[in-house]
Amino acid sequence: MHLAPIDILLIVIYGGFVLAIGFLLRRQMVGSAEFFMAGRSMPAWVAGLAFLSANLGAQEMIGMAASGAKYGMLTSHFYWVGAVPAMLFVGVFMMPFYYGSRARSVPEYLKLRFDEKTRGFNALTFAVMTVFSSGISMYAMGALLALLLGWNIHGSIAVSALVVLLYIALGGLTSAIYNEVLQFFLIVFGFTPVAYLGLRDAGGWQGLAARVPDTFVHAWRDLGRADANPMGIEWFGMVMGLCFVLSFGYWCTDFLVVQRAMAADSMNAARRTPLIAAWPKMVFPFLVIVPGIAALGLTLHPNAGAAPLLPTLANGTFDYNMALPLMMSRYYPAGMLGLGLTALLASFMSGMAGNVTAFNTVWTFDIYQSYLRPRESDAHYLWMGRMATVFGVLVSMATAYAAMRFNNIMDMLQLVFSFVNAPLFATFLLGMFWRRTTGHGAFWGLVSGTMAAALHYELTGVGAASLLPKIAVVHSYPSDMAQNFWGAIVAWTTCFVVTAVISLMTDAKPAGELRGLVYGLTPHDAEDEAAWYRRPHTLAGVILLCVLALNLYFW
Amino acid sequence: MLDLRYPIGLLLAIYGVILVLQGALVGATVLGLNVNLYWGAVMIVSGLSALLLARRGRT
Repeated sequence: MHLAPIDILLIVIYGGFVLAIGFLLRRQMVGSAEFFMAGRSMPAWVAGLAFLSANLGAQEMIGMAASGAKYGMLTSHFYWVGAVPAMLFVGVFMMPFYYGSRARSVPEYLKLRFDEKTRGFNALTFAVMTVFSSGISMYAMGALLALLLGWNIHGSIAVSALVVLLYIALGGLTSAIYNEVLQFFLIVFGFTPVAYLGLRDAGGWQGLAARVPDTFVHAWRDLGRADANPMGIEWFGMVMGLCFVLSFGYWCTDFLVVQRAMAADSMNAARRTPLIAAWPKMVFPFLVIVPGIAALGLTLHPNAGAAPLLPTLANGTFDYNMALPLMMSRYYPAGMLGLGLTALLASFMSGMAGNVTAFNTVWTFDIYQSYLRPRESDAHYLWMGRMATVFGVLVSMATAYAAMRFNNIMDMLQLVFSFVNAPLFATFLLGMFWRRTTGHGAFWGLVSGTMAAALHYELTGVGAASLLPKIAVVHSYPSDMAQNFWGAIVAWTTCFVVTAVISLMTDAKPAGELRGLVYGLTPHDAEDEAAWYRRPHTLAGVILLCVLALNLYFW
Repeated sequence: MLDLRYPIGLLLAIYGVILVLQGALVGATVLGLNVNLYWGAVMIVSGLSALLLARRGRT
């Protein structure tokens, strides 16, 4: 891929905007509330688009296009059965407790609801996980730019890290959120034409369907048996593992996204944050999965005179991760290519920035202020937040270099999430809706859930390949996906059962301490006073109907 | 606080102008479409709409 001066110009203009936003917001960062929580002043639409974009790192875009090429419309389950229903759930049912408790972070909510050790456990695992994700993101960007453009990988990592570091250290969470919203628009404008052109070149949806195996254009039809579809999973593992456990675990408990909703300017705005995000999330499969399928179609049956789109790797499979970049290089002339590449760069950087802001908040409030240096001045914690930003970026860079040995980024991320996030949703579900749940129950539930996930991974295998050494393989799964999803189910169930049993054996907190933290002890907010199109229940109902229709259409 | 609609509108409009100029001057086509020209125009309209909303929303 060759860049013209105009493409470079578009990238440079974007870099200028990002830094300018950081500098413009700098004077407003007067205290820790502004730096870490954006002063709880974000309008619903800003928080909503940031809620969506924080998760929209470039690994997500490239990984989902790769999954589209590898698994076809089955990938839509990540959106239409996973993310969207989870977003509706967190907006309608969970946000009243998150936002209403005035907690500054998810670990802090755990401290209020349960106890110190549960918060400590969550804060530590979360801090490690975010820095790790940020490092993977950085590495992925450097590797892609080196491959596509021949840019120096070390230079790409250093420059992007410096830009992210600058705009967060200057403008804090507000800066991160603003740049995430900017990135959202860049992604929409940068990727829509490639989706359209790819589909047009393949002869529209009907033409494309004729080029790929029939199973690639169905989301549900072949989920009856694990061996009937390319993902190697049946409907129960899919719905329970991916949708209920992994997606709900991620969207409902991961501080990276929840932090955006906590920054909203009112309870109503906080509840609408995930609901606003659900609309574009519902449409994103057309922007990433469909181009992925088109890439496969144009590889298996290229048009007359055109080369197959995807290259074949040494092991005989297609290089799926190149689906989106290669589509762009084929269909974008100089100009559009700069825009598409800027969108990709923007999602890399804001993915990194999302992790860094979540990290510096959890580090400063839940580790530093809680265990190391309590009772310091607000200015001290603001300073610590900036230091944590520097530290977080440096550790991410170190992780980037360590992350080079994994090839399928998406599967790797899913593996990490399944260890750490899968049990979490059971803890929150019980904690928010069953007032009898105790701190001991929550803590030991989380520990045993995470261990169950690790143990499940250690005892099962997929073929001969393995990311980590195994103790023994007692069960073999047809695919990595199946192993991840079932691992998540095991972890969630373990956590749920252990939490419930230990809670019944230990003393619950008195009802007075749980006001505002648990369903049934929290007064309902005045939702009925908002206009109908602003009521969370109404909005969620409409979105649910739309997503149901999409599932049926692509059955 | 900085109204986010200003930077969004400005960025989209600037990109739109650059793409339209590129499309008009170079005129490269893909699948028979002058992608830069058409998409640049869409971006200008979107950018100006965001700027207009920001101006109207200012109190």
